[in-house]
Amino acid sequence: MKKVAALCLVFVLALALSLPAAASVPGELLIWSDGERAPVLTAVARKFVAEYGISVKIQELPFGDIRDNLAIVAPTGEGPDIIVGAHDWLGQLVTDGLIEPIDIEDPSLFVQSALDAFTWGGQYYGIPYAIESIGLFYNKDLVGEDGIGSFEELEELTKNELAPKGIYGLVLPQPDPYHTFPFFSVLGGYVFGFDEEGALNALDVGLANAGAVEGFEYFEKLLDEGVIARATPYDTMMSLFQNGQAATMMTGPWAFGDVRAAGVNYGFTQIPSYKGQFGKPFLGAQGFMVSAFSENKMLANIFLNEFVATKDTMLAIYEGDPRPTAFLPAAEIINEDPDMRGVMEAAEKATPMPQIPAMNSVWTAWSDAIELVINQQAAPKAAIENAVETIIQTIRDSM
Amino acid sequence: MYRKHGILGSLWRHAVLLVFVVFALFPILWVISASFNPANTLVGQGLIPPNPSLDNYREVFTSEQYPIALWIKNSVVIGLITSTLVVIMTSFAAYAFSRFRFKGRRTGLFASLLIQVFPQMLAAVSIYLLVLSIGRLIPALGLNTHAGLIMVYLGGAMGVNAWLMKGYLDTIPTSLEESAMIDGASPFQAFYMIILPLARPILAVVFMLQFIGTYSELILASVLISSTEKYTLAVGLQLFIQDQYASRWGVFAAASVLGALPIVLLFLFLQKHLVTGLTSGAVKG
Amino acid sequence: MAKLVKGVFLGILNVVFIWTALFLYSSEAYLVLVLLLLGAALVNFVFISERAYPYRYLLPAAFFMILLVVYPIVYTVYVSVTNYGTGNILTKEQVITQLQERRILDAEAGNYTYQAYRDGEGQLWFVFTGPQGELLLGHAGELTPVQEGDARLARLAEFTELARADLVRATNEISALSFALDEARQLQMRNINYFGVYRPQYQYSRERDELLDLESGIIYQPVLGYFQAPDGTRLTPGFREIIGFHNFSKLLTNPQVTGPFIRVFIWTVQWALLSVATTFSVGLFLAILLNDPHLRLRRFYRSVLILPYAVPAFISALIWRGLFHTELGVINRVLQATIGSGVPWLQDPVWAKVALVILNLWLGFPYMMIVCLGALQSIDVEMYEAALVDGASSWQQFRHITLPLLMVSVGPLLISSFSFNFNNFSVIYLLTRGRPPIVGAQTPAGHTDILISYTYRLAFESGRGVDYGLASAVTLVIFLITGAITFFNFRFTGALEEVRKNV
Repeated sequence: MKKVAALCLVFVLALALSLPAAASVPGELLIWSDGERAPVLTAVARKFVAEYGISVKIQELPFGDIRDNLAIVAPTGEGPDIIVGAHDWLGQLVTDGLIEPIDIEDPSLFVQSALDAFTWGGQYYGIPYAIESIGLFYNKDLVGEDGIGSFEELEELTKNELAPKGIYGLVLPQPDPYHTFPFFSVLGGYVFGFDEEGALNALDVGLANAGAVEGFEYFEKLLDEGVIARATPYDTMMSLFQNGQAATMMTGPWAFGDVRAAGVNYGFTQIPSYKGQFGKPFLGAQGFMVSAFSENKMLANIFLNEFVATKDTMLAIYEGDPRPTAFLPAAEIINEDPDMRGVMEAAEKATPMPQIPAMNSVWTAWSDAIELVINQQAAPKAAIENAVETIIQTIRDSM
Repeated sequence: MYRKHGILGSLWRHAVLLVFVVFALFPILWVISASFNPANTLVGQGLIPPNPSLDNYREVFTSEQYPIALWIKNSVVIGLITSTLVVIMTSFAAYAFSRFRFKGRRTGLFASLLIQVFPQMLAAVSIYLLVLSIGRLIPALGLNTHAGLIMVYLGGAMGVNAWLMKGYLDTIPTSLEESAMIDGASPFQAFYMIILPLARPILAVVFMLQFIGTYSELILASVLISSTEKYTLAVGLQLFIQDQYASRWGVFAAASVLGALPIVLLFLFLQKHLVTGLTSGAVKG
Repeated sequence: MAKLVKGVFLGILNVVFIWTALFLYSSEAYLVLVLLLLGAALVNFVFISERAYPYRYLLPAAFFMILLVVYPIVYTVYVSVTNYGTGNILTKEQVITQLQERRILDAEAGNYTYQAYRDGEGQLWFVFTGPQGELLLGHAGELTPVQEGDARLARLAEFTELARADLVRATNEISALSFALDEARQLQMRNINYFGVYRPQYQYSRERDELLDLESGIIYQPVLGYFQAPDGTRLTPGFREIIGFHNFSKLLTNPQVTGPFIRVFIWTVQWALLSVATTFSVGLFLAILLNDPHLRLRRFYRSVLILPYAVPAFISALIWRGLFHTELGVINRVLQATIGSGVPWLQDPVWAKVALVILNLWLGFPYMMIVCLGALQSIDVEMYEAALVDGASSWQQFRHITLPLLMVSVGPLLISSFSFNFNNFSVIYLLTRGRPPIVGAQTPAGHTDILISYTYRLAFESGRGVDYGLASAVTLVIFLITGAITFFNFRFTGALEEVRKNV
């Protein structure tokens, strides 16, 4: 037994000596990035080390996981200093107390709508690098060089030329509220209205107002007439457009790669008008945010302002994943590309996707209403009015 | 049970099996098709892509940003270690449940099965916090270590697997151990030298199931492991399909196809253990 | 020898216990410490007492189970009585710290440029230049107005002036500094180029547990996870705190839950039953075929048939979704070509359920096949030989020998497979997401929603964002239901009864 006791003592000493040091080390930046941005950030990090001798680590994780994991990891002090993310996370991250306002040295360098998207309570919470909205891809061989200006024009063309050849006029992902929103917004629908102070009002849901219903009914009409292919998920939509079985496709700049790879002679422009009005798609902005639990907040600000908000970095980010830039000095160069001009044009008409957490309750009910209409199981007006009732009830319940 | 069958007998058997082979393979053929499709769609219009190419596979092997071969290696190592430990621990537990009578036995059996079906929604959050604090005590078992991840997987050792093995041991007659114990063997020796060899098929089954389960586990691994070079394949693959609309299906499919190979190889290897049943000879000793 | 091994093993374990206990004691985690000591006592008892011999075999597996399976359950129970969710993620301490760090920039006071010096002892000295060109010497939190040519400034020349790169390296140090400009305002680092004039926004009083807004004088008191003003205005972020059984009552009285409950519950049970029945019957059937030593190509068949299990379910489910597509999917194109009409797979409630069962069969039969292949090995061939002598048919052999013996090991598995599918959120999510929706329904429950997919949706798509507290309550209620069903199953099938030995 004595031997055992002696052994115990040795172990205790050995283990006590190996007690871990403190977990997080100030003076070293950690960035959570998605895959597209990671290589660029790695290169920028190298410059930062060369300049200041401060090391910057990049940890790559799936885009959506960045938000989810931050809520788990950051409060324990093991989290990152900087994250890459989307503006519509803002409401959740700010009310959770997970991100910190950012001091943008020169806001005039950024596209205003992108800054607005990253503003909460009058403060900037992110340095935007890209904006995006959906627009219209068109097959030049099917609809001509200039594309389509209005939905009425598209209807005509489909009836007279495309349908007889078995080609759809338009494809879009279904049921997908994000992609269908322009039909709701074209004649005045909106998701959340604003209160007197200019903040979003979660109880004012405008998806079933007169304009929204009229737009939604028009969407149904296009389905019924066979202008829009019915019930296409994203993937099916893409292959229809790639194979020339659809003349136009409503989606965003993320699809450029796939469309080019298929060798389609395409163009990209804003969403067509209906009754002379242009449908407003959602605007999304992506940017860099600083964790509220960062031990290096000032350093993170320096890194972002001096090394990321530069023409070189922003161009590199664009090269790695071509989305319209939110950084004006880089925009001049990028806009020489006709695709990007089209995207900028589409984005100008866009309205920022609401960032408030109540947005969570909107998607399913809204998507269900769209699906019922696609499946011809309900009329647009009844379906969307029912959905809005459900949405408001859900939001009210949790207040 | 199995007699030699005539031509008709083997014909219907092969016919039925072929139907299931088609059922099993058909969706997988689409995965394979996508892996050769440079156009990056998952459900193309035909099974044979218009311009098949090896681009996706080339990327799998050469990408510096995504060391897929390394991820597969990580997954295989973690899977093998976890499965080995689980088989050892499970067989211990199953032996006790099958051969001893003790207080709390029935409760334990029931509880071990019941808590396995607890919806694991918050498991990731709680296990993260747990491993974080374990890591502060013992850094080698902390966050972002394979050892920590393996430890977490060991939590599943006493569950369905233990039941499966216990049921199997129940069907093995006790006469062999009894005679060994009369010859002076301790219960542990009887377990080790007599029961375990007889239980080989079920050990192989548990090993296989645990390996596949560990190999494809995603949620815990993605929360606990945080550096790219330590990712498991399941976590790494998510990087290709992270964007709702811009997923890189081609590479994802190619890596999935390659990732399935270790499972198939392991299964080929374990097959002979899986189907070496009890022969009368073995039981009679 | 065995005794020595046991002694050393127990010794090592005890070392770990003692060391952990010391660590826990020093970090004041007394509750965990007590649990640990109880656990240690138990381990020692089990290894020393001969009566506790059987428990030695259970200990390793039970240890990891308690640590990693039971702990999450306990955690879920804890979260279910809290308001944990969007807006209430942090602890109250963290929120107080954050709010106290909030500061208001006095924009009119302008920016102060600065030069920093480090003296021989590593102390920092600053010379600030205000907006009107006034000079301030800053050191150790104090500011001294100085004039050009002051002797105190001249002394700085002996120190090392920090260049820009040095400043960047020292940001963490510098940004932690604060120089009192007057009673209310401080000079603090604004960015690398400037210091700014700041006032703190809130002051927390620990005695009164309230937060004072120094600007407006409004007092915020903690109410339901938020610091709240008398007029009901809440400060964000909120904090998490125990709110009792609020989540449970919310769940059980919410018409969005109680309304569709019966309908959803019935489908959940049907779904679980169908899943087990289809996967098990196909798996067993294939296992019996493939166990036949006379069958050619057995190894080939077996390897091919486990493939669905080897490919990530994520990708295969999406492939299936494509195959099931009503107009363009392969299944319907084949049906069109052969019987002339397709099936509205994902639009029709019944067909959507059929599609789910098919997908789950595809995903699940290899598992059952492997299990049955293994379990079949325990059946003594002699028994069949005896049956043959008695002239039993194949079916009789299956019915009276194979199935009952197989059930010994596989029976409990079927029960657990039932419970698993009862909560098999991921398959539903990957294929249908609960769709198709119900026409005119006032709740977001779809035709194929099972209990857990629907209630989780309520918790994750709540009006405030994500509601983990509610989700945990949901988990526990569903666990109760599953547990009751499992228990009933065990009683009913006698799986817990002692198995006849030496069959």
